[in-house]
Amino acid sequence: MTLAEENGPERGGDDLFAAEYVLGVLAADERQIASRRIEADAAFARLVDRWEVHLSPMAAAFPETEPPIRVKEAIDRRLFAQESRPGLWSSLAFWRGLAAAAVAALAIAIALPYVNPPVVEPQARLVASLAADGSDVKYLVVYDAARRDVGLSLVSGERAAGKDFELWMIEGKNAPVSMGVIPAGQITHMAVTPAVEQKLAQGAVLAVSVEPVGGSPTGQPTGPVVAAGDLKGI
Amino acid sequence: MKDRAAFDLLYRQTSAKLFGVCLRVLKDRGDAEEALQEVFVKIWTKADRFAVSDLSPISWLVAIARNHAIDRIRARREPAAYIDAALDVADPAPGPEAMAVAGGESVRIYHCLDELEKDRAAAVRGAYLNGESYAELAERHGVPLNTMRTWLRRSLLKLRECLER
Repeated sequence: MTLAEENGPERGGDDLFAAEYVLGVLAADERQIASRRIEADAAFARLVDRWEVHLSPMAAAFPETEPPIRVKEAIDRRLFAQESRPGLWSSLAFWRGLAAAAVAALAIAIALPYVNPPVVEPQARLVASLAADGSDVKYLVVYDAARRDVGLSLVSGERAAGKDFELWMIEGKNAPVSMGVIPAGQITHMAVTPAVEQKLAQGAVLAVSVEPVGGSPTGQPTGPVVAAGDLKGI
Repeated sequence: MKDRAAFDLLYRQTSAKLFGVCLRVLKDRGDAEEALQEVFVKIWTKADRFAVSDLSPISWLVAIARNHAIDRIRARREPAAYIDAALDVADPAPGPEAMAVAGGESVRIYHCLDELEKDRAAAVRGAYLNGESYAELAERHGVPLNTMRTWLRRSLLKLRECLER
């Protein structure tokens, strides 16, 4: 039997290449090719993940060794030196926020015994970055499904005197559904009604419109939409 | 600030294991310390990818550390010191730690390694734990590079057949 036959026509050489990458035997240039394919090719990334799962029990043989404190200090300098700059919005800050939420989830998961890997529920929390061209209003939204809570962080922009910001959910081609007037403040929370909760899922679009104080009198947006974005899994 | 507390917790719980991985692959403390820094910065910026992996959190972190350390050692011009590598060969059997963790699926890989010839299983474990390249393994086992490649590929195919049985 040849290698090609053993490998099976349906999988080609990709599965073996993934295995060699995970095992760690490839040369530098081959590893670069594999890394690029993991980024660009989801099917290949899944093959790699599968081999990582298969071989990962062998990692139990890596002994634990406490690193010196200077390593943590150096990491802190690299990661947190600039965190206190106020009101600075950038996509980097947004992604870091996302990563932070995921790391928090990881940290909790790791606190559980290794032998019982926890089930990750990606839908438990969704995030959206709301912004629009020609507007300086930007909100970062975190939806916590378990607590039926929408947390909003006003990143930039202000409501004009005599106006309110109203939050809308747009699901598919349906008419916007009001989630209520956003309370004033940098960081605010809004409760989610059961009707909205049923439709609030990954892919739903959130939008902020300018409305008279107290919210839209018609039940539909009456003022300009100053920020919008879709909900994504963390 | 909350982010930082989460990160501190993550670091406390995982840094010893990940440092162990870096040390084992890189066999140099200074190098391993630098690699560990880079690994945690990477984890911080890639954490959103965790959701798409089937790995448990600690295994996902170990995979990042291991791959990073291997990339780093490949970037070195000179191959790693063979004395250290040779010392590490004699550990093909799962240690007590491995046995403690092993339960259900975890023992499967050991069972499947047992089905391989002894030296082949040792080569697979050596490659996984030390991050040795085909070229380094070939030199250590005194066989041509292509022979080593064929050996390990056949072993991987047998492993896959066993793992998915």
